[in-house]
Amino acid sequence: MSHLITYKNITISLSGKSILNIDQLDVAAHQCTLLTGRNGSGKTTLLKIISGLLKPNTANIHYQGLDMSWKQAKPYIQKDIIYLHQQPYLFDASVSDNIAYGLHRLGESKAVARQKVMHALQWADLSHLAHRSAKELSGGEKQRVALTRARILSPQLLLLDEPTASMDTDAKQQTGLLLQRLKSEGVSIIISSHETHTVKHIADHHLHIKDGQLETIEPSTDSDKVSVLKPSKKQSVT
Amino acid sequence: MNDLGQASANAFELLLSGNNDIWEIISLSFGVSFSAILIATPVALIIAFFLAFFQFPLRRTLISLFNTFMSVPAVIIGLTLYLLLSRSGPLGDLRLLFTSKAMVIGQIMLSFPLLVAMAHATFQAADRRAWETAITLGATPWRAFPTLMYEVRFGLIAAIVAGFGRVIAEIGCSMMVGGNILHSTRNIPTAIALETSKGEFAQGIALGMVLLVLSLSLNAGVSVFQGKGELRT
Repeated sequence: MSHLITYKNITISLSGKSILNIDQLDVAAHQCTLLTGRNGSGKTTLLKIISGLLKPNTANIHYQGLDMSWKQAKPYIQKDIIYLHQQPYLFDASVSDNIAYGLHRLGESKAVARQKVMHALQWADLSHLAHRSAKELSGGEKQRVALTRARILSPQLLLLDEPTASMDTDAKQQTGLLLQRLKSEGVSIIISSHETHTVKHIADHHLHIKDGQLETIEPSTDSDKVSVLKPSKKQSVT
Repeated sequence: MNDLGQASANAFELLLSGNNDIWEIISLSFGVSFSAILIATPVALIIAFFLAFFQFPLRRTLISLFNTFMSVPAVIIGLTLYLLLSRSGPLGDLRLLFTSKAMVIGQIMLSFPLLVAMAHATFQAADRRAWETAITLGATPWRAFPTLMYEVRFGLIAAIVAGFGRVIAEIGCSMMVGGNILHSTRNIPTAIALETSKGEFAQGIALGMVLLVLSLSLNAGVSVFQGKGELRT
């Protein structure tokens, strides 16, 4: 299994307290990884470091055949990796304009962007919301718009922070469906979630953060339980 | 009371008759204040953004300084600028004293701390997800900045309006560095002070009415903007 990107020696401290100390994290291409951990264990911090939004104390990255420092890799990873907040932020504009945001930044012409947005809305079954103000949507709708807005940019890796938190059953199902479709399109995904049962069926791998380190969780025969393999220093999501 | 009524009636007449002197003073006042706000705002917004979103040495000190300078009296700014621009001062060679350019500089100095402090408070209260979302969707920081400004536009407009309100009505600085010269540096506040001291109440009241209408309009405008902002949050 090929790796999309490898992070080595990730360390970060906040207010003098060590939050993460991970020797190696390999992210497999075209697969989905479930990331769990207690509140405050560093899941969001790790996702933000992976996406280039948060500067770690140390981190080396192997991406596209190059070994780089986090700072050197930042422009590349910000181009190819998209992070979605637990409660996605939609700009104060229509749903269409929100989905087109990244396209405008890429320099797409208005006509091409409009066409792509139309297709993206159809893909997510959101065409009926195209002209609605994004601020008026429900939590589930916002999450689906945010996923569509990310997908339209064809990211290599999608990082989802608790994507189904505080959602009703219907919204969870619809979000899950979109995630499955994204995975089947070959997008690599890391999902941080407490509600493992709602996303477990999509995940190929399961990582758990404990004491700032990653451990691999192997699915047991009982589908509702997982067993800890070992708190290893090198974690491979392959 | 009759005198006041008569003076007010005369004031209306002066305004409505298109009295050249009055409208020249009003035009100069607005020209100077708009120029000052136009120059001060972009720099103030960028500084406010950096203070709110980035950590760097002396950040807290700078925030305290801007908050302190926000309440410095206009006359102190005027005095400082006068000393700098007077013939024997370090900037005397520029020959700016008693010109409208000096008034613009003074009003920039007056409005700048207020703009920075209010815009900083707005950026500080902004949802950080807006910035992170723009960045993760591929925007460069220079492209994400206008996006963020748009998201907090109601607070920023309130800051700009407050800055304009501070400079359009100030008298101390304009009097000291402008000199209240007719057809050159006389603006609404300095003209009101002069006309009132001469007993020419009609002109003073007329100009006062302009400031009053402006003040009410600005406040109404800010209320409308803030109301819209509250509805959208």
